[in-house]
Amino acid sequence: MRRPTRGEIRNARAASGFLLPFAALFLLCFVAPIAYALYTSLLKVERSGPLGLGGGAHEVFTGLDNYAQALQDPTFTAGFGRVLLFGLVQVPLMIVLATALALLLEAASARWVGFFRTAFFLPYGVPGVIASILWGFLYVPGISPFVEMAGSVGWDVDFLSRSSVLWAIANIVTWQYAGYNMLVLIAQLKSVPVELYEAARIDGANAWQVARHIKLPLIRPALVLTTVFSIIGTLQLFAEPLVLQPLTNSIDSGYTPNLNAYNEAFKSNNQNVAAAEAVLLALVACALSFGFLRVVGRRGKDGA
Amino acid sequence: MTLVSEDRDSGRAAARRSGATAVAKAGGPGRPPLRHRIITRSLLAVAAVYFLVPVYWLVVSATKNTEGLFGTFGFWFADPRPLEYLGDLLAYEDGIYVRWFANSLLYAGAGAVASTLLSAAAGYALAKFPFPGRETVFNVFLAGVLIPGTALALPLYLLFSEIGLANTYWAVLVPSVVSPFGVYLCRIYAAAAVPDSLLEAARIDGAGEARIFFRLVLRLMTPALVTVFLFQFVHIWNNFFLPLVMLSDSDLYPLQLGLTTWTGYADRQPVLYQYTVGGAFLSVLPLMVLMGVLQRYWRTGLTEGSVK
Amino acid sequence: MSASGTGPGPRPARRTVLGGAAAAAAGFALAGCGGSEYGEGEPKGRKKGEKITLTFWSWVPGIDQPVALWNSKNPDVRIELEQVSAVNGAQYAKMHAAVKAGNPPDLGQVEYPIVPSFLLDDGLLDLTKYGAAGVKSKFEGWQWQQSVFGDAVFAIPQASGPMGLFLRQDLFDRWEIETPATWDEYEAAAKAIRRKGAWIETFSATNGNRFAGLAWQAGARWFAVDGDTWTVSIDDEPTRRVADYWEALVRQKLIKTVPDRQSVWYKDIQTGAIPAWVGASWGDALLVGNAPKTAGKWRVAPLPQWKKGENASANWGGSTTAVFRGTQYPQDAMDFAVWLNTDPESVKLLIDGGYGWPSAVSGWTDADMENHKEFFGGQDYSKVFQEAGKAVDTSWQWGPATDTLYQRFGDAFTAVLTGGGSFRSVLAKVQRQTVDDLRNKGLKVAAG
Repeated sequence: MRRPTRGEIRNARAASGFLLPFAALFLLCFVAPIAYALYTSLLKVERSGPLGLGGGAHEVFTGLDNYAQALQDPTFTAGFGRVLLFGLVQVPLMIVLATALALLLEAASARWVGFFRTAFFLPYGVPGVIASILWGFLYVPGISPFVEMAGSVGWDVDFLSRSSVLWAIANIVTWQYAGYNMLVLIAQLKSVPVELYEAARIDGANAWQVARHIKLPLIRPALVLTTVFSIIGTLQLFAEPLVLQPLTNSIDSGYTPNLNAYNEAFKSNNQNVAAAEAVLLALVACALSFGFLRVVGRRGKDGA
Repeated sequence: MTLVSEDRDSGRAAARRSGATAVAKAGGPGRPPLRHRIITRSLLAVAAVYFLVPVYWLVVSATKNTEGLFGTFGFWFADPRPLEYLGDLLAYEDGIYVRWFANSLLYAGAGAVASTLLSAAAGYALAKFPFPGRETVFNVFLAGVLIPGTALALPLYLLFSEIGLANTYWAVLVPSVVSPFGVYLCRIYAAAAVPDSLLEAARIDGAGEARIFFRLVLRLMTPALVTVFLFQFVHIWNNFFLPLVMLSDSDLYPLQLGLTTWTGYADRQPVLYQYTVGGAFLSVLPLMVLMGVLQRYWRTGLTEGSVK
Repeated sequence: MSASGTGPGPRPARRTVLGGAAAAAAGFALAGCGGSEYGEGEPKGRKKGEKITLTFWSWVPGIDQPVALWNSKNPDVRIELEQVSAVNGAQYAKMHAAVKAGNPPDLGQVEYPIVPSFLLDDGLLDLTKYGAAGVKSKFEGWQWQQSVFGDAVFAIPQASGPMGLFLRQDLFDRWEIETPATWDEYEAAAKAIRRKGAWIETFSATNGNRFAGLAWQAGARWFAVDGDTWTVSIDDEPTRRVADYWEALVRQKLIKTVPDRQSVWYKDIQTGAIPAWVGASWGDALLVGNAPKTAGKWRVAPLPQWKKGENASANWGGSTTAVFRGTQYPQDAMDFAVWLNTDPESVKLLIDGGYGWPSAVSGWTDADMENHKEFFGGQDYSKVFQEAGKAVDTSWQWGPATDTLYQRFGDAFTAVLTGGGSFRSVLAKVQRQTVDDLRNKGLKVAAG
């Protein structure tokens, strides 16, 4: 290994001054909790006596038992299956919707564009919990005007039944984030030099062809970015099912992995298994995001 | 990983982009045929209805009391008394709602400011100071982007409990300040927008590194900083899991946590349904206005971080 | 934070609670060990004249009233009330979290079934040192025993929740349906009501609390402890009978399956779409609060019986005021807990709020209990609950992880109601899971 030059040393000193505050907090808020979760996930509590009273509780090393327990818990694994299904359907749908809206707004004439764009973007300003409370009212039979309207024409809908509640949640998430993703895409679209369109149009391309062959490839980086964030967001699903849970008998305590870990930790009072579940969740999230980036990375190179 | 790949060119790209936008505004594409315009407009209108209907419901419902919420058609007014009901809301429990609102502002505002500064410093350091291990440090930070915040919240809670920070303002503020995505944006932007020659000139003039950063670099990075600030503001404002696990004293709650507590309590105290809806309305209103007004800031610089 | 942090890591030695087979009515028999003292700093205690503030987490409607009364009378010991959400056990999640973090409130509302799970957590303070013995006689014996483990007293009883049947007399009259006295009659009533287009009520998957009560009434005994080994018998004959019965109602579509005490249910209660509720004594306040327009139309009947002429009831809920370990002022906390649940004025206010059936043997009169008389058409409805209270088999024992148990029931019933399978499969599954859960908590378990 070569020795660092004097310039590099000076640089390192200055850089560390700027880096330190962030790095310290990063250690505290990212690295330490992960290490801690790894550590707790390897322990379990042993008790003596009917309630572990009398000093009868202590923690012992248990290897990967907690991971085994988490993976054998059908509720937990079902939760994973559920968010994956959710991600497979909702993320593409939302990205397609956002892209369509972005392209439509680009194509529309100027006068109404501001209004539409604002309307689409507004829900992003509504926190997930409040959006869920809001949509909860719009779903619950007896209060929901949608159910009432459907009922009056003899259509018996239940947004919160076992088969539909996942999509009810997907709708909340889409409603909230489609506009935001649209804005990201618009920003990228704006960077496309206008001459490109003009040239294409002169060549006889119609609006659809311009969108398909010029605009879409150009906004690909923004599409990748929004998709990665959406995947991470999907795995974190928590507030929506938590808020809707009391309204329906279709959401169990392990509806999403996150909800499961939360309940395991705080309701079942089982910190160690919860830590194992949190670690598994983080692993899957990383694997999926990296995996997606690799796939698009490769395809991007093939295409180029 | 692609996300990590350094992009020195993006600043120039950004410059090109803004130029292109100016051209687009000046010239503008030719008007598409009428049929297209009608189709486009109707599709947009349908989408607008989808996005606005819940908001409309909220506006209507904020004028009702609990009885009206349950007993009348959701999409129309029934005996609207918005001022009275919102007044009740604000007065409930000595104005706890106002307190929650202020807390939310504090968490999101202070958190976002601090986060922006830290990100700017770290991003600048990573962009302009080549030192051994730089890429490793950057990659470790970036891995943070991919880790779900909720997976961190639980162990973080236990850690903070150990050091006595759980159930304090700090419990929400400190983790909110760390934004790996902000560092990522700032690095890319600093690499492009802060010319090395300028830094050298300032150093030759005898300016210290801190002075250069605060006087010069921050100014050059303003567009990226606005983006990071907004991004982080909304992120903190929307964060639910962290305050949920960290806070038990309702005086420290941010809005969302307070409102969910109300819905959880509403069966014992039905008036809380009314307060929850009214509270949601009041909380959504300013943010929506803000969203509308700040749209253009969202657009500038948002794609700086996109993968090339 | 407080000196009593019980976070992970080496646990502080605890005071041992023991005494041989002294398990009395609650049936607890704990293995004895020597009595060591707290391994942590003793609580400070209050100096004379010092002003302190104690935090108290509760979700009982109207409990702010007696707290305010206390504060006006005791300027030195201010109680700060935190109203916590009680949906799906959220309040206990919060308390467990706080206990783990070492910053629990000084006092908390803890239901009888949940007291043991806080002991697993080492979360509650033994009150014997602070004069528990002296106040024992002020409470119903069996309720006092619900928080006694070995020689230690871990909470002050507040209220029980004897069960009964709420019904809309006007609708039952109009539809010419007799008040059901047995479960067979209840099913017949359900059919009759269904023919009128309404539903008798709902079976909520997530309501483990009520299901436990119904099993209790039928004679189930889910938990027992022998030495330090737990016996779990959730899949026993009486519980199966209860499960089969409700499954039949669900399969015949005689009953809704929406969650109870949530907006859908309230709407149904307000409109008469649901004219009955197998509830508990504290339910009066909920109905009064949420369906004010139905005033005068409700009545209360005893819980339907499995055999005509029998008289068995059970508890749904029932609460204590517990003092958490880690409080710096245990004596003051204890004094408040006792005052809250015995002072006549306080009890009166609690009754008005609708907290259940007082655990204190005195301090209230029949007249106090009839505060919602007009809502129930002038009926002396509290007599029904009073009788129900006497008909509760008080030898029922709660297991050590009831909040987990309820969650298991909720998940299993949810799966069955929306997917498939029988209610009996729920019992088998929850039985199996509960044995595992207790084992995973490091306890000794035998399947019953």
